[in-house]
Amino acid sequence: MIEVQHVTKRYGPVTAVNDVSFRVDSGQILGFLGPNGAGKTTTMRILTGCIPATEGTAIVAGYDVFEQPVEAKRRTGYLPETPPLYTDMTVREYLTFAARINGIGSGARRERVAGAMARTSVEDVADRHCGKLSKGYRQRVGLAQAILHNPDVLILDEPTAGLDPKQIIETRELIKDLAGDHTIILSTHILPEVAQTCQSVIIINKGQVVAVDTPANLTERLGGAETIRLEVDPLGADPEPALAAVPGVTGVTVAETANGSCVLDVQSERGTDVRRELARTVVSSGWGLLELSPLRVSLEDVFLQLTTSEEPKEEDADPEPAPEPADTTDTTEDPT
Amino acid sequence: MSNILAIAHKELRQYFVSPMAYALIGLFAIIYGWFFIVSLNFVVRVSMQAGMGMGGPPTVNINEYMMRPLLGNTAVVMLLVLPMLTSRSYAEEKRSGTIELLLSSPLTELQIILGKFLGALALFTAMLGVTLVHVAVLFIYGEPELGPILSGYLGLWLMGASFISVGLLISSASRNQMVAGVVTFGVLLMFWVVSWMGDPSSGSTTASVLAYLSILDHFEDFSKGVIDTKHLAYYISFITFGLFLTVKSVDSERWRG
Ligand SMILES: Nc1ncnc2c1ncn2[C@@H]1O[C@H](COP(=O)(O)OP(=O)(O)O)[C@@H](O)[C@H]1O
Ligand SMILES: [Mg+2]
Repeated sequence: MIEVQHVTKRYGPVTAVNDVSFRVDSGQILGFLGPNGAGKTTTMRILTGCIPATEGTAIVAGYDVFEQPVEAKRRTGYLPETPPLYTDMTVREYLTFAARINGIGSGARRERVAGAMARTSVEDVADRHCGKLSKGYRQRVGLAQAILHNPDVLILDEPTAGLDPKQIIETRELIKDLAGDHTIILSTHILPEVAQTCQSVIIINKGQVVAVDTPANLTERLGGAETIRLEVDPLGADPEPALAAVPGVTGVTVAETANGSCVLDVQSERGTDVRRELARTVVSSGWGLLELSPLRVSLEDVFLQLTTSEEPKEEDADPEPAPEPADTTDTTEDPT
Repeated sequence: MSNILAIAHKELRQYFVSPMAYALIGLFAIIYGWFFIVSLNFVVRVSMQAGMGMGGPPTVNINEYMMRPLLGNTAVVMLLVLPMLTSRSYAEEKRSGTIELLLSSPLTELQIILGKFLGALALFTAMLGVTLVHVAVLFIYGEPELGPILSGYLGLWLMGASFISVGLLISSASRNQMVAGVVTFGVLLMFWVVSWMGDPSSGSTTASVLAYLSILDHFEDFSKGVIDTKHLAYYISFITFGLFLTVKSVDSERWRG
């Protein structure tokens, strides 16, 4: 439904979007995730034909947006970052104008406008001026404008930005509801939004795509269940070599040492469960096993991991030898 | 065509929901009316003197002594007023982000530009139309020639349309409507006075080129009642070229984002 190939956009020396490619299948919701300045808006403006790309091609609803822009635009609804409202028009006038320039004939116009207003719950402000609306209503009128002509593709730039929690939930529900007969791309810099609304995610940073996957896979692929957090009391010994020797373990990092106990993150090969072996090793060495749990990496961590170029690792690699032997199964602080 | 009309209709509607349109029409009508009365007084005085001297009925040519200077003054008023009419056209859409609604709709750039042009032209036509009330008075109390008045109005209308095309071009390249208005005024003024730069009597090519470029010089014949295709062609190409450059400007704005 949407096919983007090697799209690059340069503003003079600034490369806003750099060689971005992705595709979205019919009826899907794609989340476009990235920090501010990542190039989300720029990509969306290219897809909607507002600005030309410097390089690359984009096909939307079967039409090349650069070769046949009018055909592509006919099948696309766009909600820009700032809803493009004429402040001096009433909501109804505004939507009627939007319907008209989208080629909806005068016969069907009234009905379509009423339908879009009902869908986005803006009927109660139908005769109010767009300039006098609250942020939530502006956003929804913008959305009504985008769905008026029943487009195949909906492109929504931060549709929930600036809304209150109740409005956010309503908007998300509306978007999910729309996904049935529209293919949707929505951008956001809020992570839970993607996990809750989208079937697939593209993480973009500094104009480049850093990951494309489902929210679940993404969490899994980049760590997820494959990292195990272990807290042991090694009785002064260094637990690292013994743990690293466990079959299936690919790496051990010391995350924290305090009060004689030592917290380690153990990476293992994908698909191997090393938890039993780890426990056995710890116990047979005579150390205290304080905690053993799979580390759930949140989408947030993935995001940070992918969008931060260098991860600052200032943790000391050597675990301090514990001066006091303590064999408790408690993880509370030791009152020494 | 329906797309162009949709834009034109929207533009007109926006002119009329703000006090802008009424202010411009009112301002134009008042200034025109003032010029009208001043020149009428002048004509009446002259004709009374002429009547006293010759002892016969007043024989002063209203077309020659009243309408021609009046239309010339009207052109000056247009120079001041029309930049205000076109300045917001693009600049405001860019500032508020509504340009994205137009750019992402299935419209071509040319349709958007022609729509905006027609909207402004319609308002200008209304401004000019209001002044016809004064002219009607002349026909009630005197017998001016209709021909030169009509050709004079045609000339004004074409000149106004040219001003609008320049105004659109400058508005399309600006994000601030104040700046767009002031620059438009400056550019129009330049086209206006350009013929003064060369001495037309010298007969040099530069002087004649400059004279040809002058918006004002082409108006002269219209106000005398002569519709010359040369001048028609000048205004029509001026407008076409202005709109063409606006398309180019909007396009390059899109490239710059
Ligand atoms: N018109 C423009 N001219 C120059 N640089 C721009 C323009 N628009 C965006 N940029 C730059 O492109 C980058 C991406 O911006 P944008 O697409 O708006 O990011 P996002 O929507 O992800 O926050 C930013 O660094 C921004 O400064
Ligand atoms: Mg953005």
